[in-house]
Amino acid sequence: MSFFITGTFAAKDPLTDAIKKLKANGFSAADLAVFSDEPIEFPRGVLDRPSHMSLAVVSGAVTFFLLVVGFVYYTQTTYPLVTGGMPIFSFWATGVVFYEITMLGAILTTAGWFIWESGLLRRDKNIPVPAIEPEVICLRIRCTPDKLGTAAAILQNAGAQNVGKLEKAA
Amino acid sequence: MLAALIPYHQVRDDLWRPLAGASKRYMLVLALLSAVALWGLIAWGYQIHVGIGVAGIQRPVFWGFYLVDFVFWIGISHAGTLISAILRLTDADWRKPVTRAAEAITVFALMIGGMFPLIHLGRVWLFYWLFPYPNSRLLWPNYRSPLMWDVTAISTYLTGSLIFLYLPLIPDVAQLAQKTSGWRLRLYKIMALGWTGSDREWHALERAMKLMAGIILAVAVSVHSVVAWDFAMAIAPMWHSTIFAPYFVVGAIFSGLAGLIVALNIIRRTMHLENYLLPHHFNNLAKLLLLMSLLWLYFTFAEHLTVWYGNEPKEMRVFGARVSGRFSPEFWVMVLVNFVVPFVLLGIRRLRSITTATIASVGVLIGMWLERYLIIIPTLSMPSLRSSWGHYSPSWVEISITIATFAAMASLYLIFSKLFPIVSVWEFEPHPQEEP
Repeated sequence: MSFFITGTFAAKDPLTDAIKKLKANGFSAADLAVFSDEPIEFPRGVLDRPSHMSLAVVSGAVTFFLLVVGFVYYTQTTYPLVTGGMPIFSFWATGVVFYEITMLGAILTTAGWFIWESGLLRRDKNIPVPAIEPEVICLRIRCTPDKLGTAAAILQNAGAQNVGKLEKAA
Repeated sequence: MLAALIPYHQVRDDLWRPLAGASKRYMLVLALLSAVALWGLIAWGYQIHVGIGVAGIQRPVFWGFYLVDFVFWIGISHAGTLISAILRLTDADWRKPVTRAAEAITVFALMIGGMFPLIHLGRVWLFYWLFPYPNSRLLWPNYRSPLMWDVTAISTYLTGSLIFLYLPLIPDVAQLAQKTSGWRLRLYKIMALGWTGSDREWHALERAMKLMAGIILAVAVSVHSVVAWDFAMAIAPMWHSTIFAPYFVVGAIFSGLAGLIVALNIIRRTMHLENYLLPHHFNNLAKLLLLMSLLWLYFTFAEHLTVWYGNEPKEMRVFGARVSGRFSPEFWVMVLVNFVVPFVLLGIRRLRSITTATIASVGVLIGMWLERYLIIIPTLSMPSLRSSWGHYSPSWVEISITIATFAAMASLYLIFSKLFPIVSVWEFEPHPQEEP
């Protein structure tokens, strides 16, 4: 069974120290979550969140490109128009449509992947979320009962305020 | 002298204050603008009821005010997304109070601009013929037609711009949801998608915004290029030009910047955001406007010089009508307000201020509308065959709809600014206040 413990910080540097110490004591990045009302950038290696968004966006764009080329080819060739010897399927004349739909694929994949990667709409309701106050950074740690004491001690040594167990919201 | 920092809680209070309640003056202005917009809808309704003949368009001028407005509003739409994307990609720090106001302009201008092809259709109820499905004879829409290019380009741009506006709005609406009640609470909660402010969410948001900025830049350039190709693909005098696409893109950014400066000044004054929209923001935008004015002059000169030097009779007839003929008043007013006025007001440092930047921008908006008019009407009035020449004068329906679109734009903007913070709160780090 997992427990959740939180500590609040007024600045980024003590928080970075706390995260480094927690990782040195066996906590993984997946066990840690930082909550704030503005984005916080850590140095590389502190709390990295690997992302495949770029790859997904390129894949989405390529998929939409292939689909639209196939679709336009089908629509142009399915009806036997008399073109007087001109090509019935012209890649260049329909290039704008291919380009725009490819970009639409990239846009929709970006939006979709953002929702997926951020965890919005697929959050585990059993994991409690701390309420964040302006200008305060909150570190939430998931730990097993035997590691609760270690986590609390690290937070306190790093200068965290309001260290405490986080209960699931009613 | 050391500059004071605005505390973050005050930033929040200042930027959220305009959302609370609506003053009598606000309601009066909104009612007036809505009435004008409604008048435009009535005019359109009249056109639908009686037929497209109530508009002034007739052979040979089959594109009139509607197409002028279409190109103008698509140009204005470049204010937000394009400018915001460029500033995001270049990490320009001064963009932060500017981007949301700009992105909102894009969405509303595109919505308005995108209506004009439908208005111009006449039989608007048949617009679904543009959808990709086969008709009763199993014929599909012709994807080689620039009209279909427009449909796909504008749909993609509108989708992208909406997402580009919405993504950075999520953290703000999540915070607003904690402070409101009633229907606003429900709206903000739905829009926040359960945002908690975790580092995973912030990372994903920042990555998505970086990617979106790159993608939307490429789309925005393509959209106005496609609008330019609507003309350039026709072998018509002064349209069939290879530089039309970049010329249109430059003109779009130019008019978009002007629209943004005007909107920001109005927001600054009416919402009392003098501490957030600072003189240096306007100074930077004014410099960009001046740069675009010079670029616009370069393209206009290059376009006209090539035609003049070529001395092709059918091209020269349109050229002459523009420069020294019946369209010359519009042409020289355009040159005056698009180049001379910005050059004097913004080029001379002593004269450059928020007020002069706004005056120059209003001039540029007028000038860029005239530019679209001068591209479309003279060429159509004077086709290759002299016997086919004709005149165009807009009817009250076209004039009403044109005026109504400006009112609609302002109304949508007013409503948006009452629903959402017009300056992104989370992006706005505490900053030094400028000394008066």
